[in-house]
Amino acid sequence: MKRNKGMIILFLAPAVLIFSIIFLYPIIRTIIMSFFRIDGITDPVAKWQFTGLDNFVKLANTSLFRISMWNLLRIWLFGGLIVMSLALLFAVIITSGIRFKSFFRAVIYLPNIVSAVALATMWLQYVYSPKFGLLKTVFSNLGLTSLAKVQWLDNDHKFAALLLAYCFGMVGYHMLIFASGIERISADYFEAATLDGANKFNQFRYITLPLLKGVFKTNITMWSVTSVGFFVWSQLFSTVTADTQTITPMVYMYMQIFGAGNSITERNSGLGAAIGVLLSICVVAIFWVCNHLLKDDDLEF
Amino acid sequence: MKKQIMSLVLASAMAVSLTACGGGSKDAGTTTTTAAAAPAETTTAAAPADGGSEEAKEPAGDGGSLVYWSMWEATEPQGQAIQAAVDKFVEDTGIAVDLQFKGRTGIREGLQPALDAGTNIDLFDEDIDRVNTTWGQYLMDLEDLAKAADYEATANAGLIAACREVGGGSLKSIPYQPNVFAFFYNQAIFDEAGVTSVPTTWAELDEACAKIKEAGYTPITCDDAYITCMFGYHMSRLVGEPKTEEIVKGGQWDDPAVIATAEAYADFASKGYFSETIASNVWPAGQNQELAMGTAAMYLNGSWLPNEVKDMAGDDFVWGCFSYPAVDGGTDGVDAANYGAQVLAINKDSQNAENAFKLICYITQGEFDKMLSELSIGIPADSNNTEWPALISCVKPVMDSMTTRYPWAAGAEANADMTPIIKENFLKLCGGSVDAQGFVDALKKAGN
Repeated sequence: MKRNKGMIILFLAPAVLIFSIIFLYPIIRTIIMSFFRIDGITDPVAKWQFTGLDNFVKLANTSLFRISMWNLLRIWLFGGLIVMSLALLFAVIITSGIRFKSFFRAVIYLPNIVSAVALATMWLQYVYSPKFGLLKTVFSNLGLTSLAKVQWLDNDHKFAALLLAYCFGMVGYHMLIFASGIERISADYFEAATLDGANKFNQFRYITLPLLKGVFKTNITMWSVTSVGFFVWSQLFSTVTADTQTITPMVYMYMQIFGAGNSITERNSGLGAAIGVLLSICVVAIFWVCNHLLKDDDLEF
Repeated sequence: MKKQIMSLVLASAMAVSLTACGGGSKDAGTTTTTAAAAPAETTTAAAPADGGSEEAKEPAGDGGSLVYWSMWEATEPQGQAIQAAVDKFVEDTGIAVDLQFKGRTGIREGLQPALDAGTNIDLFDEDIDRVNTTWGQYLMDLEDLAKAADYEATANAGLIAACREVGGGSLKSIPYQPNVFAFFYNQAIFDEAGVTSVPTTWAELDEACAKIKEAGYTPITCDDAYITCMFGYHMSRLVGEPKTEEIVKGGQWDDPAVIATAEAYADFASKGYFSETIASNVWPAGQNQELAMGTAAMYLNGSWLPNEVKDMAGDDFVWGCFSYPAVDGGTDGVDAANYGAQVLAINKDSQNAENAFKLICYITQGEFDKMLSELSIGIPADSNNTEWPALISCVKPVMDSMTTRYPWAAGAEANADMTPIIKENFLKLCGGSVDAQGFVDALKKAGN
């Protein structure tokens, strides 16, 4: 037993060491940084100025940061509802034994492999264009002139435009996770239910959904993590300078660490670290809530 | 037996986790460098065989070789010209150069950490303000090197002065690829509308816009990325740039200049001088779909604009340029604007400063400055290169008339917490959905 312990330590040590250097050290350093004022992200510790909770207080008092948190909440909640329901719907359809299953699965997943830059350009310069845009053409042809006149990228509509474009690309990924969850459920259950006279909807309601709890948890966690890291789409929808409808905490963090737009603005990596800490707390909170609301260990199949 | 299997499983699990960790860390490392160096073309050019001295073939970083981090991509016209200059430098001197194209975000995010970590970088380039302000502490004083090379004999005096100004009084960077921020217009529309001279005052701009609108064109368009510049320029014309910056940073939205600027733009909006889609133009919609396509006449932008839209605008597009007009009772005139350049700077810890400066001369003077200007349709930095690319020859009188230098957006973007809020509300103001008072109220409400 004693020898085994030695072996365990020997084998674990490199992994633990590397884990500590690569993950633990940056986490602890970030938490410490959030209590300091730091100009450049790699400034020596001697240059750091301790400011206590000032960074957090400043964030709470900055309307732009509050706007960015609000945007993040909207992306997570509304985007989550849209993506999860569509992903589940498509997953159910695709696993229901339709023909050309692989083809449809590939089509729905396709936006995931196209570069976000290309996708965003398509949405911005083509779909939403008020001159020759897809939406304008479609609505004009349908005779809906008031809808055809809407400027989808003005301040009132920009958030919805961004969310739609983003969700379009995200459905396929979550659909795959749902589909694999559904395929894991043995066909015997559905066969037995069919024999007992349960219709498709009831089978979905009483068999598929309960057995997908764990997959839901995975999907929600993945969605939360990607939402919190929402950055590229925001940058693409507002190049050079940030926009009130598209700014997210990550974009705000970037502005604080590397400077905003083309101007030379004040930088504070401590503030950026504080944002990182807040976002991590959000993810942990969501994960904790999910774990408590969606208990999947009561079912074995 | 069971234990043995168990330990085997555990061991392999650990091995896997170790590889995963190692892989992960390696990946993370490459991401930083490749994100930094997108198509990181590292060219350790060696001297040709005939002049091939031994040290020329030594890897970069030691002895006489140079390491140069550039903000461009290898595929961009600027990158190509710099590459050509470096190749010639290597050929002539036998000094190896490790030229790394980092791209804009790459250098912005990666340079300072690299310098802090002691990476051997002899020279780098970026925007004049970022190099001198953000990275000021890493710069070598170039006064002596410039004097020894008699550099200023052929340099643009205004830009050298600007470099000294932002360098805190001494020359710490050498400008290349100069630019100026002004109104660019479609000469054909001006001619058709009967606008015979460029507007120098706000009233003349008003008159010109009226004629252009009458002729059936959109007088002014813009994109979200540049809209705050209009606000900044107008404010700075009224009260000067330092005051504008003070207002923006200090949240002094009650200052009369703010409402005056808002009223001037609300007036233009009510007269229909702005593009109908100005409130929803996400860059580059306005410059590409309106200005370049010939439906809008004017756009406040940098001298890089003709190059950006040249493929869309076509060969017959004749460009005009004029400085932002003066306003009644304002402090600044048409001789003030954001003009500047990309600059090259030498790391203060460089062991090869003389060679680095020699390379700077290759890039910013004579043949390769001309090549850079021609390939990127930009302004030459060498005053001996008097011939500007035809597309931007209209910029010359404007550039030559500049005496006062504004920073980017004339101070409108000096407060990062307010920029998006100014942008949102100025777009609304130009689009006509808020009035002047509504604009000021929105800024006050944001409370920064």
